[in-house]
Formats: sequence, structure tokens, C-alpha cells
Amino acid sequence: MIGNDVVDLKVAALESNWMRPGFLDKVFSEEEQEVILNSENKSQMVWLFWSMKEAAYKIYVQQCGLRIFNPKKLRCERLSENKGLVHFNGYKYATKSEITTDFINTWAYLETSVNALIHCFKITDSLYKTQSLAARQKLLKSFSEIKKVSEVDLEIRSRKNNVPRLFYKGYEQRDSFSIAHHGFYGAYAISFLLPILNFNTQPLC
Amino acid sequence: MEKEVLIAQLKTIVQPYIQDEEAFNNLSENTDFVKDLKINSANLVDVILDVEEVFDIFIENADMEKMISVKAAMDIINEKLAAK
Repeated sequence: MIGNDVVDLKVAALESNWMRPGFLDKVFSEEEQEVILNSENKSQMVWLFWSMKEAAYKIYVQQCGLRIFNPKKLRCERLSENKGLVHFNGYKYATKSEITTDFINTWAYLETSVNALIHCFKITDSLYKTQSLAARQKLLKSFSEIKKVSEVDLEIRSRKNNVPRLFYKGYEQRDSFSIAHHGFYGAYAISFLLPILNFNTQPLC
Repeated sequence: MEKEVLIAQLKTIVQPYIQDEEAFNNLSENTDFVKDLKINSANLVDVILDVEEVFDIFIENADMEKMISVKAAMDIINEKLAAK
């Protein structure tokens, strides 16, 4: 299973004031706050931790179907500049991040070896609807190319708990994927089940 | 607090963060902050902090955890106000 998150750093600086009293304490553990406050680029560390938590949370929702809002409970551990672990409810999620001066793109995964495809791209329009549509279209195109089927037969539908799923000719597929967009950036992450060209053609329970 | 009054106050609080006008105009008890109003999750922290300021209450993380809809937020605000 895979989850992802993208943060447009310039837009985040305008939209969210993490220095607002109470903000850090609602989101980060004491240890995380210490790392943030001692780092050279505090904003970057805030959004790196945030994206790690968010990407890991997106796997948790796929696993458990439960939506909650408690980022503080997801504990970040940094292994290197761009690799980390997120601990939550007894699960351990590995994360990797692409960190630039403009954006942070993080993906989290459960399995030690995943056949993952990660893509982060710029979107010229920051309107939510345009972004969401653009990200989904890119994801479908990618699915159709890799699975060698027509885009017409593929569809993304969201489950009740807001988890998007891939459908092929009306049948839900088991491949795990995650879509994110923020500001002027969109991203997706797909974890393919092997063999990639196999399709499920029965209702999933 | 009266339901309509509370919903109106919450509506004012969430307005700066919403990304779906239509869902905002139709805001009701059943509205979901993320799924319907498309509030980004970092701004959901701002919503919680604004709620704390406006109602002069403190929301522990265990309560915040449930605050993903208008209804859940109303329940927690009422609970905190009653305990004051």
C-alpha cells in the first residue's frame, strides 16, 4: 500500500502560519518540535514532517477505513535527509521525500519492496477543482500506459471514507495509489501488484 | 447553544479556508470539512485554533481527532461550553 502528499512551499507560506500560537503543539510531538526549532530551515522541516504524517495517514485510511484528525499521534523519525519512518497505532510506515525549494513531495509505503511509480508535476491553475481533475487525468493516463489498456475502460471512484480506487471496466482493482495536490503542484504514487498486466474482473468484497 | 446560532458561527470560522463554494453555501450539520468543503488539512488546524479562540475553550487532541464534520465540531464545542 502507498500514500502520498505534496506541499507547495510558497503557497503554504501564504496559507498557513505555523508560527501561530498553538499550531505546532496541535500537530507535532515535543521531539518533533525540538527538531523543527533547531533546524536551519524551520518551515521546510515543518512541511517535511507534515507531508510524512499525511502520506502515512493516507495508508492508514486504506488499511482501516477510519478517518481521524490527529497528526500529532503520527510520530516522525528521520533516517536521513529524505528518508524517514512514521509510527502510528503499532504500524510503521517508511517514507521518502523529494525536497526542493519550491515543493516537498513525500510518499509512504508499508512493504519493504514496492513496485512504485511516483510523479510530481506543476499545475498552472491553483483552483481546487482544476487541480483535482488534472491530477486524476494524469494518474489515469499513467495507469493506461503501464497496464496497456485504453483510458476509456479506466475510472477512479472515491469510497465513502474518501479513499480513491481504480476501476477497470467497472471492476474495482487492488492496486493501491494515492493522489495529492496543493498550490501549484500535483502528485500521485502508485504501488502496483504483480503481475502488473493482470486485472481483477470480479466484485471485491 | 442553539443549533442555528452555532452553525452560523462555525460557518464564519471556516469561510476563509473553504475551497468549495457550493458546499459552503449548503453547509449543514452533515457537512464534512475535508470531503465537502475541501479544506486542506493544514488549515483544519487553523479551524480548530479559531474555534478555541472564538468560544474560549481548549480542544485536546483526543477531541480534535473527531472534528472532521460540522456535527462533530458542534458536539465538542457544546461539551466544552457545558463544562465551563
